[in-house]
Amino acid sequence: MRRFVIKSLLILSTVILLMIIADYYISEKLKDTHNAPGEIEVWNDIYNKNIDADIAIYGSSRAWVHISPKIIEDSLNLKAYNFGIDGHNFWLQYLRNKEYLKYNKAPKVIILSVDVFSFAKRKDLYELNQFKPYMLWNGDINKFTSSYDGFNFEDYYLPLIRYYGSMRGSGSVIKPSSNESLYRNKGYKGMERKWNNDLAKAKLEKKYFSINIDSDTVSLFNQFLLECKSNEITVILVYTPEYIDGQNFVKNREKIIKIYNDFSNKYDLLFLDYSDDNLCMQKEYFYNASHLNKKGSEIFTSKLAQDLKARTHNNVYKK
Amino acid sequence: MLFNSIDFAIFLPIIFILYWFVTNNNLKSQNLLIVISSYIFYGWWDWRFLSLILFSTIVDYLIGINLSKKEKKKKRKILLWTSILVNLGFLGFFKYYNFFLDNFITAFSFFGTPIDVQGLNIILPVGISFYTFQTLSYTIDIYKRKLEPTKDFIAFTAFVSFFPQLVAGPIERATNLLPQFYKKRTFDYDKAVDGMRQILWGLFKKIVIADNCSQYANIIFNNSSEYSGSTLVLGAVFFTFQIYGDFSGYSDIAIGTSRLFGFNLKQNFAFPYFSRDIAEFWRRWHISLSTWFRDYLYIPLGGSRGGTWNKIRNVFIIFLVSGFWHGANWTFIIWGALNALFFLPIFITNNNRNNLDVVAKGKFLPTIKEFLLMLFTFGLTVFAWIFFRADNIVHAINYISEIFSNTLFTYPKYDQDDSKRSILILLFIFIIIEWYGREQQFAIANLGLKWIWPIRLAMYFAILFAIFWFGGQEQQFIYFQF
Repeated sequence: MRRFVIKSLLILSTVILLMIIADYYISEKLKDTHNAPGEIEVWNDIYNKNIDADIAIYGSSRAWVHISPKIIEDSLNLKAYNFGIDGHNFWLQYLRNKEYLKYNKAPKVIILSVDVFSFAKRKDLYELNQFKPYMLWNGDINKFTSSYDGFNFEDYYLPLIRYYGSMRGSGSVIKPSSNESLYRNKGYKGMERKWNNDLAKAKLEKKYFSINIDSDTVSLFNQFLLECKSNEITVILVYTPEYIDGQNFVKNREKIIKIYNDFSNKYDLLFLDYSDDNLCMQKEYFYNASHLNKKGSEIFTSKLAQDLKARTHNNVYKK
Repeated sequence: MLFNSIDFAIFLPIIFILYWFVTNNNLKSQNLLIVISSYIFYGWWDWRFLSLILFSTIVDYLIGINLSKKEKKKKRKILLWTSILVNLGFLGFFKYYNFFLDNFITAFSFFGTPIDVQGLNIILPVGISFYTFQTLSYTIDIYKRKLEPTKDFIAFTAFVSFFPQLVAGPIERATNLLPQFYKKRTFDYDKAVDGMRQILWGLFKKIVIADNCSQYANIIFNNSSEYSGSTLVLGAVFFTFQIYGDFSGYSDIAIGTSRLFGFNLKQNFAFPYFSRDIAEFWRRWHISLSTWFRDYLYIPLGGSRGGTWNKIRNVFIIFLVSGFWHGANWTFIIWGALNALFFLPIFITNNNRNNLDVVAKGKFLPTIKEFLLMLFTFGLTVFAWIFFRADNIVHAINYISEIFSNTLFTYPKYDQDDSKRSILILLFIFIIIEWYGREQQFAIANLGLKWIWPIRLAMYFAILFAIFWFGGQEQQFIYFQF
């Protein structure tokens, strides 16, 4: 029995050691990928402490493809970085904020792109591969992603388990590193796309769309604003342009915007709402109802930068 | 709880440690631990159905004791039939109720009297077909005075619910397994190491072979009208390996796990795809079920005694019942009937016991004749599996007619990425390993035992690596649904 137990433990130790090595190797390879939508590039910048920004841009894909840090930098003469996370609402935008502040110098200003989906919470963990290289024993990633349909308990604590079954047919992890160029530029990507039929399809399926507001996410939003206040980080809420037909499609849009206005009043925050901007009427600047194309995003970012410039006084943005 | 899950990977060592280090000095405690762990194992899936197992256990325990006390044949028969009705009653209700109802509705409609009866939303308890047959064998053996009933309720409960084989077999006989619960188990190093090897090979069969084959089998079967005849043949071959890897893999894990706890379960699969005729195939495929039907159905019906028509009738009954045991669908019944048709010619001509020994015993390669016989038998089983896998009979017939279209001799196309090559390479390696291990209890039982330990260890790690690398496509075991 002793012999069996000792041998089993030795083999188990070897297996665990190999799992740790393989985990490290695969994670490093995965970190080196620059596939769309480039989320891993942003996480790399966060965990490698590469971010030195005066202005941090937060939000979903609407932040990611709408606000160019370069235009902001050129106009305001301040360093900027776009943390927009594709397909996710404020719940995971907050995780990104938390990790960013943990490993990097805090910004002076956060431009938080809000929209009708910010307080919603999806069930699936969209683009879950982005978390894999960093999630082992990471309490924050565990805390904020475990409520989604994505990972199991063991994925957060046992090496290699989260890669089980995801490697077949993706031999790229054992191939030499690619020399692909970055997908995003300081977290931003202008989309050179033309208008698609997403809105038309959605209208065929439903007469209107109603967003479920997740109360936990609203509380988290409040907590975030309090944290920023105590850390003396200025938060600017921005409702970036949405194509007019898309605005009319969301039934409880006004109610959601009122929540942002209430937060703006409560914490004395600047809330720039571009819902009535001219851009919203011009389809050629959008590729779907809620996303500007590259040209549209550049026009919008310039406009945003000008608006911010007009309201700045000693780098302080107030209502 | 699935064998191929993290839950089981944590559960097994805990039970192993408790079994050999905490309860090792007391047989009763060890048996009690087995009962508790078995109920946890089963309850992990759905604790509500534990009551069914417990009820079956109590009924058969009491009937067993009463059978030994009664001398009058009539009273003994009543007790036996009580056990049969209770066990088959549960099985019939959970597994076949909706099937019979649907067929009655169809039959009434056919004869112009449509009836409107709603089916029940019944969940099939995992493993009910397995543990039902296991407990039935206990009462039948006592009735036939082949076995003395046990008065040890814990040992009997452990026998009924023994977790390694509770949900998908092997279906153990009370004469083999129950006495093992009465004897003190001592740890046997060689047996335990052998058990570990068998578990490893079982996981490989399930995760690497079955789950990967299932991926393609599912694509091809679910979209069969879109594929060429040659691709459909390949789909059927993939399913043939899927079901073998899945079920024999489960049996290997079950047997290996039992050995860790000092138990010997019967071999359930003996390399059936290397059979030279269909009779040999059935001696090597799901042995515990085939022998169960042989002993408790075929022989009581008269077996091979009597006239030719009696023999034919008995063969058909046993194959049809075997098919029906697998599921409440006509496809399984047709599958059973097909196997009966394959079996009958060699049975009637008394050639069904020609190939009792393993093929090419002691030889490196088979003869050309043996190879062709194996290929032919394999072809028959592949053909029959089409009915087993198809959604319904129409699907199976369409699938077969598409096979025999003018696209049969075209290059099979079923995948757009490179992984199709890897699965074919894996299958080839698997067949080679199985061939060279065919004289053993499981393919890698002796593989590498004479090699120096670093190379042997490297082989085990290579298998582990393959399990990890190719795993994760599918989790459920097919036979859980039976």
